[in-house]
Amino acid sequence: MKADEMEKALREEFPGALFAVDESGRNGVRYSVLIALSGMRKAAQILNAAGFFLETITALDFSDTFELVYHFNCYEPKSRIALRALCGKDQTPSSLVDTFRGAGWLEREVHDFFGISFSGNPDMRSLLLPEDADYHPLLKSFGKSGDSHKREDIYGK
Amino acid sequence: MENEQFGPPAAEQIYTLNLGPQHPSTHGVLRILLDLDGEFIVKADPIIGYGHRGHEKMGENRLYRQFLPNTSRMDYLSGMLYNHGFVLAVEKLAGIDVPERARYIRVIASELNRISSHLLWFGTYLLDLGGFTPFLYAFDDREQILDILDRVSGSRLTYAYCRFGGVTRDVDAGFVDMTRAFLKRMEGRWADYENLVTKNIIFIKRTKDIGVIDRELARQYGVTGPNLRACGVRFDVRKAEPYEIYDRFDFEVPVCFNGDALDRYKVRFLEMLQSCRIIDQALDHLPQGPFQTEKIPLKIKPPKGEVYFPFESARGLTAYYLVSDGGTNPYRCHIRVPSFGNLNVINDVLPDTLIADAISILGSMDVIIPEIDR
Amino acid sequence: MDEKVRQRGPGEPAIQFALLDDMLNLARANSLWPMTFGLACCAIEMMAAGAARFDLDRIGAGVFRPSPRQSDVMIVAGTISRKMAPAVQMLWDQMPNPKWCIAMGNCAISGGPFEYEGQYAIVPGAHLIIPVDIVIPGCPPRPEALIQGLLALEDKITRGEDRNLLRRFRRVRKEGSQ
Ligand code: SF4
Repeated sequence: MKADEMEKALREEFPGALFAVDESGRNGVRYSVLIALSGMRKAAQILNAAGFFLETITALDFSDTFELVYHFNCYEPKSRIALRALCGKDQTPSSLVDTFRGAGWLEREVHDFFGISFSGNPDMRSLLLPEDADYHPLLKSFGKSGDSHKREDIYGK
Repeated sequence: MENEQFGPPAAEQIYTLNLGPQHPSTHGVLRILLDLDGEFIVKADPIIGYGHRGHEKMGENRLYRQFLPNTSRMDYLSGMLYNHGFVLAVEKLAGIDVPERARYIRVIASELNRISSHLLWFGTYLLDLGGFTPFLYAFDDREQILDILDRVSGSRLTYAYCRFGGVTRDVDAGFVDMTRAFLKRMEGRWADYENLVTKNIIFIKRTKDIGVIDRELARQYGVTGPNLRACGVRFDVRKAEPYEIYDRFDFEVPVCFNGDALDRYKVRFLEMLQSCRIIDQALDHLPQGPFQTEKIPLKIKPPKGEVYFPFESARGLTAYYLVSDGGTNPYRCHIRVPSFGNLNVINDVLPDTLIADAISILGSMDVIIPEIDR
Repeated sequence: MDEKVRQRGPGEPAIQFALLDDMLNLARANSLWPMTFGLACCAIEMMAAGAARFDLDRIGAGVFRPSPRQSDVMIVAGTISRKMAPAVQMLWDQMPNPKWCIAMGNCAISGGPFEYEGQYAIVPGAHLIIPVDIVIPGCPPRPEALIQGLLALEDKITRGEDRNLLRRFRRVRKEGSQ
């Protein structure tokens, strides 16, 4: 299984990473890996070399930090890997567009919705919102939305 | 692109053509900026967002139950599949049980919807290529499906039929008869379509070796669904991560190997036959019993946590990513839509093709714009 | 009066001395050319209305034109997002007079399911950017509803603005209602 090999490779590369393993894939994700934001490019390169594809990028807005979630998958049963990284409110993560060509649009979408800009993405125009939009609708501070929580309220320490 | 017969053009000029947002072949509101060198495309830059309706934000400030009707408006051609996926995701998150009968009914309804989606694509794609007759045939067949689904769900297009813990209404003998009659009718139709379209030389000339996507390109952009299977990857979520009860049915995942528009057509065509097989088996084994779990609270409060639920919609791998904070609304509701990657890939496919082929390629990708825009 | 003429009932004489306008309106009403213009889900029902079972050609409105310059009725079928609104407006401006607009579906009428306090994405209602003649409620309206809407529009056109000289269809209408 590629996913298991990847788990090993990622464990070697990122000794400090937090792994959540879900063999049955109950939540749809087999390995969920919390790494440092700076390691994301490296991790993506490892997954790219092994033949994974990028399913989606999204972010979660907590009151203390953003969290970026990247879902990777390969064409094998139950081998989804989620890479997660905390991203401070004023941090700029680096783009994956040179590793996965499809990442460009996904990052533009995250930029639209959360205002996180990605360094190294050559094209940071807005994707879904009008060109002149100056708001980021999925922020908890925008419009009507539920309460904003700290990350640990949902995921624990 | 020098032409030997006429020598080099007087002035080399690249000009920009604005295709859309209102264009009959863009299927919704897609705008593409094309840089053209004569008839050839140099660069294609799709501009999307003309159908952005803020589904994800609505997901965050509505109850789970209130968001359910939204799901079928994202990809309105396969609304039942999106419905189905969403209730499965929430059921998983909240740990709700579903009776057997409801599962079978859901599968039947979903697969009917898949066929209707592919039929509509079939009609409109040929309309784009200039054939009007198949459009009328396909819509005629599609109406039969809509009649069946209308009968049980009360809606022709945007369903909210699957509910947490079951379905809204039980099916009766009439439903089973109608579905069987539909399957019977289609047996004859496939041959008609084959003769009318698949073997049509004009059709083949316009699609063969047009818009080739290879495996690597598909992987780079996260292309899924029939578009991926047309380039030789046997990947279908129904097989890879069987959800609901798809592991109980005997069906195949059709693949083709050239990755051109013709293969994408073939894969979808074969997929409809497989869906018919699934429906047939599900009707055979449709169990008796309740169709709903009793006592599902109006305001579902799933425990803290998250779920990423993938399923196969008519266009490919779709997934709901729901994060719950223990309250009545999701904390985050993200939807991974297959058309996103499927459209993104044309950035690399369109260059160096003729503009007339661009229409064919775009049609063969079967993208639904409001699904991308959400 | 001739017996035959009398049989036709009051209000529908055999020979009509109409103003040119009324004749033109009659012609216009029975050959509406809608614009092929789908914004979202409702557009699929619009297509279904034009296809085999419902066949808009029966009422003379089946000639969908891809260009605004050739069409005289705009069916706003779907949600108008903020990004799309200027384009819709421009398309409307490009259509030659006389022209009519049908708002099909709840989204085009009032924002439908996407209008709530604090929404940011859509224009709640086509009437905010262009003049609307007929509204067809539903999410999506069934093709039958679209056909009824088109018939109502034909009615409205043949009636002219305030005259009521020539009416081919006389449908039951409650007193005082539109
Ligand atoms: S009214 Fe309903 S069906 Fe029509 S566009 Fe709006 S959401 Fe879609």
